[in-house]
Amino acid sequence: MIELRNVTKEFKVGANDKVVALKNINLRVKKGEIVLLKGPSGSGKSTILSLIAALNKPTSGEVIVDGKRVSKLADNFTSLFRRENIGFIFQRYNLIPTLSARENVIVPLIPSNPDSDWLEDRLKELFQNFSLESKMDVIVKNLSGGEQQRVAIARALINNPSIIIADEPTANLDKKLSLEFIEILKKLKNGHNSIIIASHDPLFFDLDFIDRQIDIHNGEII
Amino acid sequence: MKNRLNKFLFDFSVLSIFRRGSKNIFIFFVFTLLIFLLSSILFISNSIKSELDITINSLPDITVQRLQAGRAINMPLSRVNRLLAIDGVKAVIPRVWGYYYFANAGVNFSVVGIDQFEDQYRDLYTKLCDKFNFDRLKIDSGMLIGSGIDKILKNNFYQGYFNFVKPDGSLIKVKIDGIFNGDTKLESSDIIVMPSKKVREIFGMKPDEAVDFVIKIANPSEIPNIASKITQLYPDSRVITKEDLKISYQNLFDYKGGLFLALFVISAFTFFMIIYDKASGVSSDEKREIGILKAVGWTIDDILKEKFYEAFIISFVSFITALCLSIFYVYFLNAPLLKNIFIGYSSLKPEFDLPFCFDFQTFSIIFFLTVPIYIAATIIPSWRVASMDADEVMR
Ligand SMILES: Nc1ncnc2c1ncn2[C@@H]1O[C@H](COP(=O)(O)OP(=O)(O)O)[C@@H](O)[C@H]1O
Ligand SMILES: [Mg+2]
Repeated sequence: MIELRNVTKEFKVGANDKVVALKNINLRVKKGEIVLLKGPSGSGKSTILSLIAALNKPTSGEVIVDGKRVSKLADNFTSLFRRENIGFIFQRYNLIPTLSARENVIVPLIPSNPDSDWLEDRLKELFQNFSLESKMDVIVKNLSGGEQQRVAIARALINNPSIIIADEPTANLDKKLSLEFIEILKKLKNGHNSIIIASHDPLFFDLDFIDRQIDIHNGEII
Repeated sequence: MKNRLNKFLFDFSVLSIFRRGSKNIFIFFVFTLLIFLLSSILFISNSIKSELDITINSLPDITVQRLQAGRAINMPLSRVNRLLAIDGVKAVIPRVWGYYYFANAGVNFSVVGIDQFEDQYRDLYTKLCDKFNFDRLKIDSGMLIGSGIDKILKNNFYQGYFNFVKPDGSLIKVKIDGIFNGDTKLESSDIIVMPSKKVREIFGMKPDEAVDFVIKIANPSEIPNIASKITQLYPDSRVITKEDLKISYQNLFDYKGGLFLALFVISAFTFFMIIYDKASGVSSDEKREIGILKAVGWTIDDILKEKFYEAFIISFVSFITALCLSIFYVYFLNAPLLKNIFIGYSSLKPEFDLPFCFDFQTFSIIFFLTVPIYIAATIIPSWRVASMDADEVMR
């Protein structure tokens, strides 16, 4: 279970100014739940996702995942926490542009020095699921936007994460590819994963497999 | 599990080197060039130093010359007995030698009469000569020549002999009996050794004269005492002690050492410029990549390990390449250009080869002045980036 308790996040801007991105947020996402965070651009959706993935720390309040207070973890432990629990599909994908699709997908596993045979099987499975078999050895900057996103999804899933996070997943896709992504999402909902999506794309607003929709405005849940 | 080498991480590092190929090729070239310069300089100076040490060790305790109007003239052999009578003097050895100017090649040969002081030099020359045989030398009346001289004579179409011009203008033909192992001795390269009788003929010396005396002393601490006694006995003497010679040799070397140091400083400076450049920033692409790695679960340690592999591979391959090139350049090609810049000898004397002189100390000096510095210069800025929040770095 994911829990945000009285979370406030401020960003320093320049020497004296600050932006309050989140104000006193309280939020719970149960295991296996699929949740949509919606709200206009700049409302604080991405900031919530970053805090859950421990990519950032709240100014005050706590983020607790499966009983672990991730907002208090030391830097190296936040990395381990992400490696073991989080599959993050970034808005701009954040692939390493000069690596091939296959190399990008392996990246999260490299530090744990996985067994080669197991890895090959896992890669094959993922690339088949996302119809990327023929693109395995293509350098990702030469892939189309939709293909890049599927590589990013494969990378997010390679560790079998219990929490899947997607930030504005359809922002860079046309209608057809956006619908394809929604199909993928449906398949990912298997009862074991919690899925959190941040989006202001109306395509998500009346999907029946999404358990809950949360409106964010100016850093507050309404 | 922990200490098993992570092949994936290593592969990723190798891949990263190639991904940033043009940048790394540039670094590789500059770095290799610098290490090459540095190690060549150290190799050459080590070689010369070890040669000088051998030379200094073989210097006579005291050399006595006779001065007239401030110029050295020949010594009468009649002085030997009174010098021997001084307490502490073990032996007085008259030397018969001279510089013979070979106009065709524009060089001086040192021509040394051997039978007069063979005791003192027997060990040394035995080591130096291919197939040395003093007795044969006496009978045959031929000569032994240094390898530098051998080259010069061959270039001037002398095969197996040389014609010396005597002071009266007539020629004296001397057969070559052997050649020194020139590559073991800086000094020996331009030396010709032959019986004293021949040397006297070539330089027009009288039979009761020598060029100077070498004096052997039983107790080295007595050298200054004995030196002053000699000057009292023969006020026209110039007494040169081993210490004097040592100092002048060392001055010669230190002067070179200064030049070496200058070049060393220049290369070190360039090296640090590169490091400064590297240390002052990680490129925005690299920075973003570090952010991505962190965001997908790499710890700071993982990132630094990866950067370490990258830096180590580049700098170590550079190091080995440069070292091999340098060994080849200095010891096989005999350091063209560099050697001539730093060794005044070659203008006066014939060529000599640099003896192979490579020790662990030199190796580690070169290693520690280059590889770890480069690694640190690469890792420190990466570490700064990796310590920031992943969110911040990826922006
Ligand atoms: N690193 C940052 N530094 C300064 N301001 C930031 C930073 N990250 C987010 N913000 C600000 O916080 C607010 C919320 O941003 P964000 O969470 O990205 O909103 P959303 O994802 O809903 O568009 C915005 O005003 C944004 O400008
Ligand atoms: Mg956003």
